[in-house]
Amino acid sequence: MTRLTDLPPAQAKRLAELECPEFTTRPWVSGPPLSRRRVAIVSSAGLVVRGETPFRGRDADYRAIPAATKPDELLISHISVNFDRTGFQEDWNVVFPLDRLCELAAEGVIGKVAPIHYSFMGATDPVQMEPYARALAELLKQDSVDAVLLPPV
Amino acid sequence: MSALGHYLEEEGIATVAISLIRPQTEKTKPPRALWVPFELGRPFGPPSDPAFQKRVIRAALRLLERETGPVVIDDFLDDDPRAKPDPAWRPPLLSGAAVSRSAESLAARLEAEIVQLQAAHRLWVAQRGGTTVGLSGLAIGECAGYVGDWVRGNAPPSPREGFSAPLTLRFAVDDVKAYCLKAAAAGAAKPSSRQLGDWLWNKSAAGAAIHALREALQTSEDERLRLIAGNFMVPAARVRAG
Repeated sequence: MTRLTDLPPAQAKRLAELECPEFTTRPWVSGPPLSRRRVAIVSSAGLVVRGETPFRGRDADYRAIPAATKPDELLISHISVNFDRTGFQEDWNVVFPLDRLCELAAEGVIGKVAPIHYSFMGATDPVQMEPYARALAELLKQDSVDAVLLPPV
Repeated sequence: MSALGHYLEEEGIATVAISLIRPQTEKTKPPRALWVPFELGRPFGPPSDPAFQKRVIRAALRLLERETGPVVIDDFLDDDPRAKPDPAWRPPLLSGAAVSRSAESLAARLEAEIVQLQAAHRLWVAQRGGTTVGLSGLAIGECAGYVGDWVRGNAPPSPREGFSAPLTLRFAVDDVKAYCLKAAAAGAAKPSSRQLGDWLWNKSAAGAAIHALREALQTSEDERLRLIAGNFMVPAARVRAG
């Protein structure tokens, strides 16, 4: 579990054939060694800190997740019901690996962990996310982030 | 995630995406991605396995040090060891077996089941710490009551300011499912998601009520309700035939 061949055929076909943006440019940013980078998580799991406004349908904007957030304060408001949530319920690192990043920073594998992380809602049309993603890049730069880990869900 | 990687990288920030659906990543061609063979919903693999999760993250982050690209799509080939069923797991023991599929019976059984699962849920919280229930903003008993009211054929107004009734219903259903699944996972066994899903959708009162609600709302005059009930309550693979 789970390669596409493990999914119900109709779901596998829909996912494999889903229309995706195809870009004409090929950006590529290099940087210092990993041990000197500041890493942020930008998830597309529709994550929201308890008490903040959940994603309502296919909102295109993002939610901020401060690094001080506790596991029981983070909720998934992704609109899709076609993915497992029990892994996240047991251990948020399955979706949002903040504890693992902190350990890697303590071990010197990465430089630092960003003070704020973010989540989009991945079922949204990526074209609509574009202005929010570009605005988010400025916030990440203000936090001296130079590496972003992008987990889906 | 691949598109987000493209946008952020164009703005000058290096990215690496985790890919769960390789054909989608191959189409979008992000700067860097690591495909993983895990179940949807588990981009870093097994829960409660820090060593495994860290191997996935290190494999992904190492792509940031590649000198040649774009595009880099690597594969992480180890399967999630928690995807296998645990033969030691037993579903919750619940009283009050199904005797009727009337709306009143389904709703009453759902509400009673939430009460019966309280001890198991408390055990889960004691074992794992905290809870991930809460999207609706309602206490779990209120969630069950709100969903039960819909199952009975009523259309109760949203008790939460700023949320429409259909949105509150979707979140309340999410909370009920989360509560039941956590209660079912309490204990020493490590059930797979399939084991838990089989119990929720085929055996539990909550599953039966949500199935019935989905089917009943298919004839609603409210297009948004039809959309939410039809697509965002029951996983496609679990929808009942007919």
